[in-house]
Amino acid sequence: MFNARITVPPQAKAGDIVEIKVLMRHPMDRGGQSDGKGGIVPRKILNRMTATYAGAEIIRFDMHTGVAANPFISFRTRAVETGDIVFEWREDGGATYTRSARLTVA
Amino acid sequence: MRVPALLLALLSVLAPASADEIASGSTFLSPELRRRQGDPNRNPAWFWVDQGKELFAEKPATGQACLGCHADPAASLRGAATHYPQVDRPSGKLLNLESRIEQCRVERQRQPAFGYESAELLSLTAYVASLSRGLPMSVRTDGPARPFYEAGQAFFERRQGQLNLSCKQCHDGLVGQKLRGDTISHGAGTGYPAYRLEWNTVGSLHRRLRACSLGVRATQFDYGSPEYLALELYLAGRAEGLPVETPAMRR
Repeated sequence: MFNARITVPPQAKAGDIVEIKVLMRHPMDRGGQSDGKGGIVPRKILNRMTATYAGAEIIRFDMHTGVAANPFISFRTRAVETGDIVFEWREDGGATYTRSARLTVA
Repeated sequence: MRVPALLLALLSVLAPASADEIASGSTFLSPELRRRQGDPNRNPAWFWVDQGKELFAEKPATGQACLGCHADPAASLRGAATHYPQVDRPSGKLLNLESRIEQCRVERQRQPAFGYESAELLSLTAYVASLSRGLPMSVRTDGPARPFYEAGQAFFERRQGQLNLSCKQCHDGLVGQKLRGDTISHGAGTGYPAYRLEWNTVGSLHRRLRACSLGVRATQFDYGSPEYLALELYLAGRAEGLPVETPAMRR
C-alpha cells in the first residue's frame, strides 16, 4: 500500500537551493487498539525517511506516532550535479521502501 | 404593476434552490486547503486514483480486466460519472458508481465483490470519477428515476433523529454558517470519493452521509442502502451543472 510522490524542480543551476517535496501514502497506524481477540494492534508507522544525493545523505527524518497518516515533507538542498535523489523509508517490522527522483542540473 | 412585481419577488423567495445557487463543497474550504486539493503533489487522494488505474488494467483470475471492455478509458469513460446515480434498466435498481463497478465485477468478471468502502472499490470509483473531472453533473431525474429522486427529496426534507433536524434545515437554510468548526455547505457530493482530513483517508459519499446521520443522532443506514442511494440521486440532481471534482479534499 506504500507509495510516494516526489516533486523536484524540472531544472536547476549548480549551486541553487532547490525545494524537494515528498508526499507518502501510509496509514501511520499508531497501534494500541484492541484487535477484537484479546490482543492489541501493534504500532505500524514509517519511522524514518532518508534521502541520498550526489553520494551524501541530505536528509534523515525520524517520525513518531504524532505524525499524521499520509505525511508530507518539504525540505531544501543544494543542487550540485545531475543525479538521482534516492529516498528510503523504514517501516515498523523491518520493511523498507525505495523511490527516487532525478534532479537535472544544467 | 405593483402586484406582479410583488408576486415575482415572492416567487423567487419560495422557488427551490436552483443549480446556479448551489456551490461546490470546495467553495467552503480554507484557501490553504483548496490549494492543497488542487496540487496532485499534495493531495493524497491521487494515490487512490493511481491505485484505481492499476486495478483497472489488472486481469482478474476469471474474466477480463476492466480495460478489456473499456479500452481507452480517458476517452470512453469521460463523462460517465456525471450520469450517476442512474437506474439500471434490466433490474430497475438505482445504481451509483460504486454499485455499477461492483455489478461489473460480480456479473461480468465473475469475481467476489470488493465490498463497499474497501480500498479497491474506493480506488476504482475515484479513478473512474476522476476521468470526468471538470465536466458538469447531469443525472436523469425523470422517467424511471423519478420515484427515487422524490424519495431522496423526501429524505432530505424530513426531520429525523434525536435532534429532529432535516438535511434541508442546514444545507438550504444555514449554508455558509459554522457548525462545529466547519462551514455548512450545500451538500453537493461532486468531490467524492474524497480525502477527508477527519478520516485521514479517502472515503465514499455514503461514509460522509453516515457521519451526517450520526451528527443529528438519527439512524445510520448501511453503505449502499436504498435510502442513501435515493439521497445521493437527489443531491446529484441538486448539483446539476456543477463540475466533478473527484478526488477532492474535505475537512
